[in-house]
Amino acid sequence: MNKRIYLSIGLLSASIIAFQLNLMQLLSIIQWSHFAYMVISVALLGFGASGTLLALTRNWFIRHLSWVLPGLMMLSGASMSLIMMISSTVFGSFDSYLLFVDRAQIINLLITYFAFFIPFFFGALAIGLVYLHYVEKIGPLYFADLFGSGLGGLLAIILFWFFYPAQLPAVLSFLSLLAGAMIIPRAYIYKFIVPVIVSLIMPVTLMLYAPDPPVSQYKGLSHALNLPDAEVMIERSSPYGHIHIIRSSALRYAPGLSLSFDGSIPVRDAIFNNANWFGPVIEWSREDSVHFMDYTTNALPFVLNEPANVLILDAGTGLFASHALTRGVGHVTAVEQNRVAVSFLKNELAPMMDSMYHLPALRPLNIHSRSYLLKDTTQYDLIVLPTIESFGGTSGINALEEQYIFTLQALDEMWNRLTDRGMIAVTTWMDYPPRNPLKLLATLCETHENNSDAPLEEHLVAIRGWATITFVLKKTALTGAETARIRDFCSMMYFDPVLLPGLDTSERTRYNLLQDDDFFLFTDRIMSDEREDFYREYDFNIRPATDNKPYFSQFLKLGRYSRMKEIFGHSSVPFLEIGYMVVLITLFQITAAALILILLPLFSLGWKGGGKVYTVLHFSGIGLGFMFIEIILIQQFILYFGNPTYAAAAVLSGMLICSGGGSLLSSKLNANKASIARVLLMIIFFIIIYVLFLVPLLRLTINLPLVARIFFSILFISPAAFFMGMPFPLGLRILSAENRTLIPWAWGINGCLSVISTALATIIAVQAGFIWVMLIAALAYGFTLLANIFRS
Amino acid sequence: MDIFPQIGIINHPLGSMACFLYFVNIEQNPTTMKLIKLLVLLALITPGVVSQDFDRMRENMVRQQIRNRGINHQPTLRAMRNVERHMFVPRGQERRAYDDGPMPIGYGQTISQPYIVAYMTQLVDPKPGHKVLEIGAGSGYQAAVLAEIVDKVYTIEIIPELGYRSRELLKKLNYDNIEVIIGDGYFGLESEAPFDAIVVTAAAEYIPPPLIAQLKDGGKMIIPVGSPFFVQTLMLVEKKGGKITTTNLMPVRFVPFTRNE
Repeated sequence: MNKRIYLSIGLLSASIIAFQLNLMQLLSIIQWSHFAYMVISVALLGFGASGTLLALTRNWFIRHLSWVLPGLMMLSGASMSLIMMISSTVFGSFDSYLLFVDRAQIINLLITYFAFFIPFFFGALAIGLVYLHYVEKIGPLYFADLFGSGLGGLLAIILFWFFYPAQLPAVLSFLSLLAGAMIIPRAYIYKFIVPVIVSLIMPVTLMLYAPDPPVSQYKGLSHALNLPDAEVMIERSSPYGHIHIIRSSALRYAPGLSLSFDGSIPVRDAIFNNANWFGPVIEWSREDSVHFMDYTTNALPFVLNEPANVLILDAGTGLFASHALTRGVGHVTAVEQNRVAVSFLKNELAPMMDSMYHLPALRPLNIHSRSYLLKDTTQYDLIVLPTIESFGGTSGINALEEQYIFTLQALDEMWNRLTDRGMIAVTTWMDYPPRNPLKLLATLCETHENNSDAPLEEHLVAIRGWATITFVLKKTALTGAETARIRDFCSMMYFDPVLLPGLDTSERTRYNLLQDDDFFLFTDRIMSDEREDFYREYDFNIRPATDNKPYFSQFLKLGRYSRMKEIFGHSSVPFLEIGYMVVLITLFQITAAALILILLPLFSLGWKGGGKVYTVLHFSGIGLGFMFIEIILIQQFILYFGNPTYAAAAVLSGMLICSGGGSLLSSKLNANKASIARVLLMIIFFIIIYVLFLVPLLRLTINLPLVARIFFSILFISPAAFFMGMPFPLGLRILSAENRTLIPWAWGINGCLSVISTALATIIAVQAGFIWVMLIAALAYGFTLLANIFRS
Repeated sequence: MDIFPQIGIINHPLGSMACFLYFVNIEQNPTTMKLIKLLVLLALITPGVVSQDFDRMRENMVRQQIRNRGINHQPTLRAMRNVERHMFVPRGQERRAYDDGPMPIGYGQTISQPYIVAYMTQLVDPKPGHKVLEIGAGSGYQAAVLAEIVDKVYTIEIIPELGYRSRELLKKLNYDNIEVIIGDGYFGLESEAPFDAIVVTAAAEYIPPPLIAQLKDGGKMIIPVGSPFFVQTLMLVEKKGGKITTTNLMPVRFVPFTRNE
């Protein structure tokens, strides 16, 4: 066996995983992240499909291995670039928004799936073929695969800084081409000259003429670019996303502005991240005495009193910070994790905002808001949460986004950071049917109850404009003078109080009428002791989010879906919560496809005997278990490191590399019942340790310096990951001894289950919580253990 | 191919085949002629292909999607019956023009669901003699519906391509009382103010103060709130004696499960 194959497999794996991350980023720009997730899930079925093809045509591939193997790797590489080059023509007409209104889009979706499937399919075919042919060396080979993948994740993060998402596939193509070229046998060198040149043309062309990504016409960036004289002032790519700063003579921003405002709304630049609205560039000056936010419901906390020390979470482009500064706040802490956007505000955009980010009164911090809350010990007079939803709603695009600052635990931490006169303020857009304001109210009510015995109605106030509602939860009871000021403010601004001590119900709709009283009935029930009944009865899930189920924007109760369909009609109902719908559709699609891919080889291999039941149980169990744990660890470490992108890359790479180590060591073990059972028992043991101790241990060490946190994260991740790298090579070695023909089938099963697991884990997390994802992972390994023990 | 009254027939597979046969050998072969007649007949009886069918579809649309959902404002119903909606949708999509839903028209815009157009029209209570301002001409359909009832409609479109397209179409359809202005709707149309009604079809996160100022006392402004494919509420802004009130109205009533009990 050519020793270079190890390096070649490592390079190919690195290229494939980096391409996957690259696609995720690109599709998030063109469409939405949930759509990216759907396409990539299907594309990754290329791994499953490669197993199916190998199982059916094993002999041919083995016979021609010497030239087929480099050929496949090169095909994988060349297709990465080729697909990107034709992307604007193939996918330009596709739009996930239209999927539910225009049937013709289904064809476009299938073409999209197929196109992105190709590089993964060829790449996986090459890896599967190597495993099949050199199964005796599976330990080190699987190590090369995992180690390469681990480095590929890190490589992608680094490359994101230097290349545009549409250009990056060119670089990754080179890696795969190199992987293929280095194992071309001497005898074939001349025959490969033309294919190598042709393959090289693709990435070189892409590098020189990278197409503009065909951004959906329904995305914020496209809307802004349609405005008169719109121009892109700055464009920058990074792991934090792809940033555009846009200028137009008709781009204005004044969300939920009072109808009593009769000034003019200035034109502003705006920042878009991944083609989604990120925030306006506020033209601010330290001389200003009035801020347009004074004319919105967001001004409520400043109507109540004059906070001296304010914390702003997910501060974005500094809108709330500028408001607080105009209101004379002496200490403003603005927490925003997007380092690149903040750097623009500090530097390039500083002249427009009077160098606001350099004022001693403003302390900007680059960290995840929740991580900051976990570490911070300062006391604040006011904590401002970001505005929930957007005007007209986002159709539930964020339904499955983990929002750790709207969980009950996060609110408890905020409460503990408040001074005696402290307040928590949060604004949401009104929606219909009512969901966001109700869940927000429920969260605030429970937070108050968890932390205070005082009567809630004296501490919670809410006012509503034509489009927004702002809540303020106050540590001390509202005084008569404060309620009087709120009433004055409301009548000046044409706002209506919703919750206020001594409120007369007629005051609630003086300026802004609703078609019926339902909204107030609901708010009153949440404020009362009927809250639990209401959670249960209401058609949407408005129970507060928790760290275990951190999905604030997830409202759809699956059991009420058909009722919603009756009310809103089949073409509108998906837009209630498109994010969740798409994951359900994805799970359905990939499960159906995976079933076909898994069953197909049985027509050739035969349906019975030869350890097929064992193969299915072992390789699906470890595929599912591995992915579940990987997802949980990424999720847990996001807060630990305070940065989702880096945390995901670090955990993914760390885990893969440790698993690679396990795989390497597994070659020293005998591939028998006893050793596999021991390994599986160790994995189950570590998962149970995670369930019991991971969260407390991470909380305990979160305040340590970065180096110490890296040390602890390796300590937490490595033991389990190490053992989790063993069952796959050990299982393959058992098959190689007993029934070699099943090896490609096992490779396919493992691939299919890995993909199904990501969608399944998400749905379990939404319905039952993260703890259950871990427990089911342990169960999956448990079943694998039983399958091994009872293997005949 | 002017022998066929509507392009719809060409879009229809049978219609296209008939045209093809017509041009190939109509003179030489009487059997072919019979075949053509048969095919044309078949094409005619399949749904949604010629103008009579569009009339019937429009009538169905008004009855099933609009009147049955509680729109009873006679001028609105009449206008919805008169305006040929299929002329306002993208070419090739005519047969779907009377479906119960919005349709994309490019540039991230849609032609609204017929019911929403009718509901918005009814809510601003248009009358003969009225002068109406529309912000966001889009396809031009809403302007045409309003123009069937009122004296004058000014419609402002910010995307030039859409503006030119609707201006040309409305001219072709002889809507002399509609003026399409290409520009930024934020400023309204000071020179023609005040307006009896303002219809905002492309809503923003704020309501431009100039629009409030250009609304006649006692006038009504309507704004849809929601995504392009799912209008959640319609916001009616009324100005009476200097006081401004808003009312959120739901195009589709959501009756919570709790209230059924």
